Amino acid sequence: MSRCTGAAASSRANCTQIRGAAKWGCRAAVALLLTLGIARASRAQSSDTALDTPKPVPVFSAGMGFITPFEGGQPHLDPLIAPVILVPLGDRWLVESRATFESDLSTPPGSSTFHGEVEKEVDYLQLDYIANPYLTVTVGRYLTPFGIYNERLYPIWVRDLQSDPLILPLGTGPSGAGTGAMARGGLSLSPSVNLNYAAYFSALSTVSRLDSNRFAGGRVGLFFPGPRLEIGTSFQHLLQDDRSNAFGFHFEWQPPAIPLDIRSEYARSSQGSGYWIEPAYRLSQITRGQNFFSRVQVVARMQQFFLGAGPVLSEDAPSVDTKEIELGLNYYFRSDLRAVSSYGRQFNSKGNESVWTVGLTYRFVLPIGHGEMN
Amino acid sequence: MRRLLISMALLGISVAFTSRAQEANKAAVAPAAAEKPVSAVKAKQARTIRGETFTLAEGEKRFRQNCGRCHGAPDKFPPRMTATVLRHMRVRATITDEDARLVLWYMTQ
Repeated sequence: MSRCTGAAASSRANCTQIRGAAKWGCRAAVALLLTLGIARASRAQSSDTALDTPKPVPVFSAGMGFITPFEGGQPHLDPLIAPVILVPLGDRWLVESRATFESDLSTPPGSSTFHGEVEKEVDYLQLDYIANPYLTVTVGRYLTPFGIYNERLYPIWVRDLQSDPLILPLGTGPSGAGTGAMARGGLSLSPSVNLNYAAYFSALSTVSRLDSNRFAGGRVGLFFPGPRLEIGTSFQHLLQDDRSNAFGFHFEWQPPAIPLDIRSEYARSSQGSGYWIEPAYRLSQITRGQNFFSRVQVVARMQQFFLGAGPVLSEDAPSVDTKEIELGLNYYFRSDLRAVSSYGRQFNSKGNESVWTVGLTYRFVLPIGHGEMN
Repeated sequence: MRRLLISMALLGISVAFTSRAQEANKAAVAPAAAEKPVSAVKAKQARTIRGETFTLAEGEKRFRQNCGRCHGAPDKFPPRMTATVLRHMRVRATITDEDARLVLWYMTQ
């Protein structure tokens, strides 16, 4: 407070911002303490809270791939590795982190060799505390839970098509991550409905490779285990720049009778709005050549982006209205190794272009250290 | 071109190395891939969670409902690794406590 007294007019705005940040920080701290207090109380009431029967060990995992996109006839080479480290502490704590190292190698005009730089980013580095069966408290750098793609479908070995949806930057921040605290969890409302939720606050960070915006928001989803259907909505309020709101909806359905996944998202922010819908079908129902066809997956994605009137919050979003359709064919050698390919056509006022992609994705999981694993 | 060859060589070496390490770990567990249903005898095994009794077949059902929402059925890992992965997925996918316990039970059988 005293540091602001008598400050020059130009620095008053900064002081106001600092006070605002401190106020939000205090609120977050109080909320966290209340949460932990409730958690301890409910822990004492519950006699059945040992979460893991086998004692968990630290695990090292990574998704990696080598993708070759051809954008507008120009070949690119995109090697990527995203190591994940999971360190469980006691019965209720987990430290988890993922970093991404990727490069986009291309041939500059007049050159026949590929050039590019390695981009490094800490996707998340968070501490989780499983407070009770319904609540987990997370602090640190976390993936922004806006929609489902950023948190659940982003890893290279999970996604069915290798390109990002056009609306991915909307609501997720400049790096897809927030820095702060989050409360999240899932609970069964009835045998036929589960509720999942996440509420978060992120502070502004301009640290290289750890950048995030100042925002608060939440996501709520309803999962119906019978039909394997999930619907949900996300909301976010930006606490900087134009202090705008963003909201979105998501939908996910795996009909139990057929090997089909249908996923979709809609998002709207001041920067723009749009949607994507992506059906993916495993050909395992073809009885002839079952060993081959059960490994083949056909994917399609239709998406549109509409530019908004607000400021540019993320450079990754298209700068003009864009429409794109993509078709993909994946072949699973094993559950962790697959060949991917796709063809897409993008339409916008800057010029239409085709995007081809071929590549390999792989994922592994290993324990850190030696010892009895059973 | 040199970078391309180096990248591809690194990817190949990583796949070969980690595959061997994973195979060594898998030797400690039943090789049943998650794609295969549990046997009729095993399916009747029962476990009580918060006063409610569940069979292993229910664990398999929860596994398919929850894990299959985002990715294909993974291989089984040794139990202590599975416990870590399940704790991670419980947070990441906001699955319920009951589902996490049943999936862990199913995956460690």
